[in-house]
Amino acid sequence: MKKKPIVFSLIQGQSSFMTAIMSVLTFLSVLTLGIALMIGTGAMRMNANWDLYATIQTTDENDVPKIREVLNKNKNVIKSSSEISESQMANLMSPWVSGGSALQKYMPKMWEVKFATAKDLKSVQTQITPYAKFLTHRTALETPIRAGWYLIAISSLVLLIALGSITVCITYIAHNTAMLHKRELEILNQIGASDSFVAKQMQIIVARICTRASIYGFLMALPFLFLILSASHAARVGLMAMIGLNGFGWTVLILLPIAITVFATYITKHTTKRILKDS
Amino acid sequence: MEEKVSSISLTNVSASYDNGADVLSDVSFNITGGTIYFLTGASGAGKTTLLRLIYQLHKPRTGQIKIFGHTTNDMSRDEITNLRKKMAIVFQEYSLLSHLSVYDNVALPLRVRNISESKIKTLVPKVLDWVGLGKYADEKPLALSGGQQQRVSVARAIIVQPSILLADEPTGNLDDDNASRLMDLFIQMNKMFGTTIILATHNKRLIDTYKFPVLHVENHHVNFVTKSASDTESAATKKLWKGPAPKNYLNELSKQFDDIGNI
Repeated sequence: MKKKPIVFSLIQGQSSFMTAIMSVLTFLSVLTLGIALMIGTGAMRMNANWDLYATIQTTDENDVPKIREVLNKNKNVIKSSSEISESQMANLMSPWVSGGSALQKYMPKMWEVKFATAKDLKSVQTQITPYAKFLTHRTALETPIRAGWYLIAISSLVLLIALGSITVCITYIAHNTAMLHKRELEILNQIGASDSFVAKQMQIIVARICTRASIYGFLMALPFLFLILSASHAARVGLMAMIGLNGFGWTVLILLPIAITVFATYITKHTTKRILKDS
Repeated sequence: MEEKVSSISLTNVSASYDNGADVLSDVSFNITGGTIYFLTGASGAGKTTLLRLIYQLHKPRTGQIKIFGHTTNDMSRDEITNLRKKMAIVFQEYSLLSHLSVYDNVALPLRVRNISESKIKTLVPKVLDWVGLGKYADEKPLALSGGQQQRVSVARAIIVQPSILLADEPTGNLDDDNASRLMDLFIQMNKMFGTTIILATHNKRLIDTYKFPVLHVENHHVNFVTKSASDTESAATKKLWKGPAPKNYLNELSKQFDDIGNI
C-alpha cells in the first residue's frame, strides 16, 4: 500500500510483531478453510459420482429371473447394468471362500446398476426389494461422507477461532496504538480532527500490516495445501482420493486474506471510535 | 447601534482539576466577537484551565459555556469537533508532533479539514515564511529551539484562520523582536478577519504596551478589567517590530482561505 498515515507511525518492532501474528492467523485461516473446501469438494464428488449407483444382491437362485425381468422392464431408465459373473464373484470372494465348485451354488448373485435419475433409482428399488437386497452406494458411503462433514465442521471451527483471534489481535493493535500515540490523539483532538479522521489514520496502519500479513500467510499456507492435495491423490480409494480444490475453491481461498484485511480495517474503525469516545 | 454577538460566554462556570481540587469558581463573562483580551494571573491560578474550558478540552463542573451563541455543555463529540474547526489554540508546551516535520505539523490542521494538497503547498510555506521558519520546513520540531517551536505552534494555529484564537503564553519563549512580530500578526488577524483573541501572558511589558482589556484570574475567580476605548485603539496601531508589516501577507493569505471558510 502506498498510502501513508499522516499522523501515526508504528514503531518497527511493534509493526513486525503485529505482521508476524497476523501472518500466522491468516496462514491458519487459509489452511483450515482450504482443508474444509477440499473435503467438501471430495464429499460432493463422492455424492455426484455414486449417487445414482446401486448393487443388487441375492443368494436365492429362484429370484434371479425375477430380478432380470425387473431390470429388463426398466431398461429405459437404467444407464448401465452389469451382472457380476460367477468367475468374477469367485475371484472377489476367493480370500474368504475356497473349497471347489460345491460352494458356487452359495455364491451371491450381484448386479452393478447405474440409473438416469434418483427418482428412477427409487422406483426400481421398490420393484426389486421383494426379491433381493438393493444397496445404494449412497447408503454405503454415508459413513465416510459423514466423517467428511465432521472434518469440515472441525475445520470451520478452527477457522472461526482464527477469525476470533484476528478480531482480538486487531482490537489489541488499535488499543496498543492508541495508548502509544495518546499524545498524538490529544493533539489531533486539539486541532479539530474528527473521530472518523483519527479512525481512518489507524485504518491505514492496520490495512498496511494486514495486506503484508495476508500475502505472507497465504504464501505460507500454499505449500501445505499442495502437500495435502498430492498426498490425497496418492490414495486410490475413499474420500481421500476424491478431495481436491476447484476454481471456486481457489477463488474463495484467494478472497479470504482480502476479506480478513477488510474485516480488520472495519474492526479498527469501530474500536478506535470506541476508544476515542471513552477517552 | 448594531449589537455585537458574544463569541464566548461563560455563566457561573466552576471547574476542578482531575484530582478534584477546585480551580475556577462561579466564573461569568461575555467576550464580544472580534476583540483581543489578555488573560493574566499567577502560575496555577487557572489560566490554562480557562482556555481549555473555552476550547472544550475540559468539562465544567457547573455552569454554562456558550461559543458563538451555542451552549456547549451537552454537545456531542462531532459537534465539538465542528466547533473546534472554527477555533485554534496555542499551548505553552507547543503540542507539536515530534516525528513530523515542521511543514507537516503546520499542514496538519489543513489535512484534518481535507484541504487539497495543492492548497496546502501554497499556504504552509507562506505561513512558515512569516513566522520566520521558512528554511526550517523540513526539520523535525526537536531540532528547533523553544522559541522556534513556539512559532511553529502559532503557525499551526493561524493557518486555519480561526474565528477564535486562544494562546497560552505564546510569547513566553520569544525574544522581544519576535514577540512584537507575533503581536503584530495577532492584531492584524483581529483587524482583518475579526478574530477574537485571548492571550494568556505573564509579560507585564506586553500588557502595558498593548493595553488590551484584561481577564485576571485570582482566587478561583475571573475579574474583568476593561481598558478605555482609546487605549485599545492605540494598542491596535502600536508597532514595536521594525520589519515588514504582516498586512500584505495576511491579505494574500486570506485569498487562499476560501476553502476553509471559518470566518
